[in-house]
Amino acid sequence: MLFPTLTFGLFFLLVFSVTWAARGSNEWRKILLLLASWVFYGAWDWRFVALLIVSAVLNWGAARLIELAESHGEGSRKAIMLMGIAANLAILGVFKYYDFFLEQLGAILAGVGFERDMPLMQIVLPVGVSFFTFQGMSYLIDVYKRRIHAERLLDITLLMSFFPHLVAGPIVRGSDLLPQFKRTPVLTRDMATMGIVLIVWGLFKKAVVASEISTGLVDPVFFDPASHSALDLLAAAYGYAVQIYCDFSAYSDMAIGIAALLGYRFPLNFDQPYRAASLQEFWRRWHISLSSWLRDYLYIDALGGNRNGFARQCVNLLATMLLGGLWHGAKWTFVIWGALHGGVLALERIWERRRPEGFPRLPKALGVIVTFHIVVLGWIFFRADSFGQATAYLGGLLGGGMPGAELVVTPLAVALIALGMSFHFAPRNLGQDIALRLRWLPAPALGALVAVTVMIVDAMRFEGVAPFIYYQF
Amino acid sequence: MPRETPSPIDLPAEPVDAPGLGWTAGVMAIAVLFLLALNAVSLRDWAADLTPSPAQARLAEATESWLGFTEAVGVGKPRAWLHDQWKKAENAHFGATTPEDATIAP
Repeated sequence: MLFPTLTFGLFFLLVFSVTWAARGSNEWRKILLLLASWVFYGAWDWRFVALLIVSAVLNWGAARLIELAESHGEGSRKAIMLMGIAANLAILGVFKYYDFFLEQLGAILAGVGFERDMPLMQIVLPVGVSFFTFQGMSYLIDVYKRRIHAERLLDITLLMSFFPHLVAGPIVRGSDLLPQFKRTPVLTRDMATMGIVLIVWGLFKKAVVASEISTGLVDPVFFDPASHSALDLLAAAYGYAVQIYCDFSAYSDMAIGIAALLGYRFPLNFDQPYRAASLQEFWRRWHISLSSWLRDYLYIDALGGNRNGFARQCVNLLATMLLGGLWHGAKWTFVIWGALHGGVLALERIWERRRPEGFPRLPKALGVIVTFHIVVLGWIFFRADSFGQATAYLGGLLGGGMPGAELVVTPLAVALIALGMSFHFAPRNLGQDIALRLRWLPAPALGALVAVTVMIVDAMRFEGVAPFIYYQF
Repeated sequence: MPRETPSPIDLPAEPVDAPGLGWTAGVMAIAVLFLLALNAVSLRDWAADLTPSPAQARLAEATESWLGFTEAVGVGKPRAWLHDQWKKAENAHFGATTPEDATIAP
């Protein structure tokens, strides 16, 4: 069930009506939201609802045991936490990485003369498994570190299943959402207005900008890079940068907006990332809920951050980004993407430390351009189906592409790429400023305005709705 | 709520001192009614894509009739006009005649 569809619209109207009608009892309201979340997830594959429930019960039980082991000392608490983390990683490993690692093992064995058939399982990847397992792990670590208390099964199950964030984030931590579950939410006019603005804005970014650039330019060019001109290859590389931003930030905007209409507050996940003047800044603006997760739980908690010297800090950065790349999927292209980001992040730290006294800093505008192009280079590996396709793409780009190839890029695609980039240089709080004006409108006026805007978006959208890019992760 | 996790939901102004739930329900109800009139083609397409069944056939027929009515009274025209303009923009190419132009040309 995709957000920008009429089916989801009807589903949401029903959930909105029923859950607010049940606001007299917070417990019943949460149960209804949980059932709605399972229906939403079950629309992909009912079998995986069981996996979601098992995962929630596992994390609820492990967190309870961590608190019950308080009197047994730190060793017991840590052991339970580590077993819980291992169980979460096992779920992720079986469903996402089993075949990948077995294929790599098979290749290694073949290389040393022990070629044999590997027992591959061709497992179907449950939608959103990377998101809800990361959410479960952060909950366990937070309970272990005494940042939050272990909570009731209903609240933990809802935390992990709540449909606005379930399949593609943001990764909402227990410390953000669990306190909100303790009380019946109140829908303020501010929340509702901003929620509506985010939903309509996300719909435009996804259905118009991302879908049009994807189907008209990026997909055909990446499908066969060798048969396209350098101009098309360049346009598709920029186009994918805009597409992935408009696709993923649209999902986040809609998720935040939908949660707001149900009375819950989700954190910001994107903050004009292509205006970053360094890669470090880029990761403070892009997929903030994942980058802050990796920083807090992997880079600092697990690897030690900068606590063990500068060289170790650089290695930790590289390791964090490599694992961050692997989080996106079991493919070498994601690992290379992570290595590129980790390597440049480490180089930025080294340059900051070793920069000669008085050596001029890069002007901010130049820093933005350089950073953006490093990110675009990474996106080529991220988008390519294989390492070979990525190198063919780069080879075509640097070698001038196929001579005489018919141009695929259209004036509309160029205009949408320019529009997508302009979002990054618009006033930072433009959406909030619009909401501040709209909140004073009478309901019929805002309703008519929303309808006209949705009608305009629908008239411009590409036929059909492609799944969000991050559904595959 | 920890403030280190900002959210776009936190508007930078004094909150409106008025109930939000009824107002939001009103916004959504009006939006749905307007969309039924202005965008009936989407409803028709959605009904046509549902899994075939007797109920789906009745729904598809009803939405087709409703679309015919909105077109007859003219409320569907703005969307149809905008969609045509968008399709023309999609078909425009750099420095070449579009396939549409080629068929029109003598």
